[in-house]
Amino acid sequence: MSSACDHAIEHIYFYLDDEQLSWYRRMRIRWHLRKCSYCCGAFDFEQRLLEVVRVRGREEPPPELFERLRTLLHGEAAESRRDDAHPSGDPPG
Amino acid sequence: MADQADFERDAMQFAGQLYSAALRMTRNPADAEDVVQETFLKAYRAFDSFAAGTNLKAWLYRILTNTYINRYRKKQRRPSEVELGELQDIYLYRRLGEQSGATPSAEESVLEQFVDADIKQALESLPEHFRMPVLLADVDGFSYKEIAEILDIPIGTVMSRLHRGRKSLQQKLWSVAEERGLTGSAS
Repeated sequence: MSSACDHAIEHIYFYLDDEQLSWYRRMRIRWHLRKCSYCCGAFDFEQRLLEVVRVRGREEPPPELFERLRTLLHGEAAESRRDDAHPSGDPPG
Repeated sequence: MADQADFERDAMQFAGQLYSAALRMTRNPADAEDVVQETFLKAYRAFDSFAAGTNLKAWLYRILTNTYINRYRKKQRRPSEVELGELQDIYLYRRLGEQSGATPSAEESVLEQFVDADIKQALESLPEHFRMPVLLADVDGFSYKEIAEILDIPIGTVMSRLHRGRKSLQQKLWSVAEERGLTGSAS
């Protein structure tokens, strides 16, 4: 492991997340990856791992969730309309 | 200002993702749905304070996160940044490399053998203050800056927790791989 390897591995998440790195640092890492098969393998692995987590870490909601949320919102809207029509402490009539 | 009448149309598209995030936080489907329902109700009531045209998804996640924290985190102590101890960079890659010693693609083939339950188990086992940034970045695709706003913590803290959380996730996945005999060395 060279100091260029250390530099690349130290910044691996910034590089893969496309965050925080100056253009110069990003180019320095890209240049290193073209020459170093170990780091290149590591970056490919980390990239693939992030994809696996994104795809496999997600959960499908129960199909009824959406209808229940709609019912909740419609109930809330109806209640606030009633409150607007008859503010508390000021009964109709 | 946003119009309450538009809330359902605008927010419903995020309900599935919010549920998924809530489930990873609460680890329980009934609690997850409760948190999402409370989030929708709070967001609906506060929708006129949401600046139309800004990031609705992040705004909803912020309410979701606060709802979860208020409900479930009252008893917890303050987070400790050192809780996970010293963690090695690219832990999983290194460990798999030691085992296989073979072609570079051997490590990646282990990744393909992880099933949904492996990833979920590893994510849910992370301590909460590391789990949240990892979920927000890696499952929901938020930027560091968005996560800082959602969790109301400095961006430096986001980076430190996210990176440490990912390293810890890799240790968990290594354990999972060993248990399932994916590493080539297990009995």
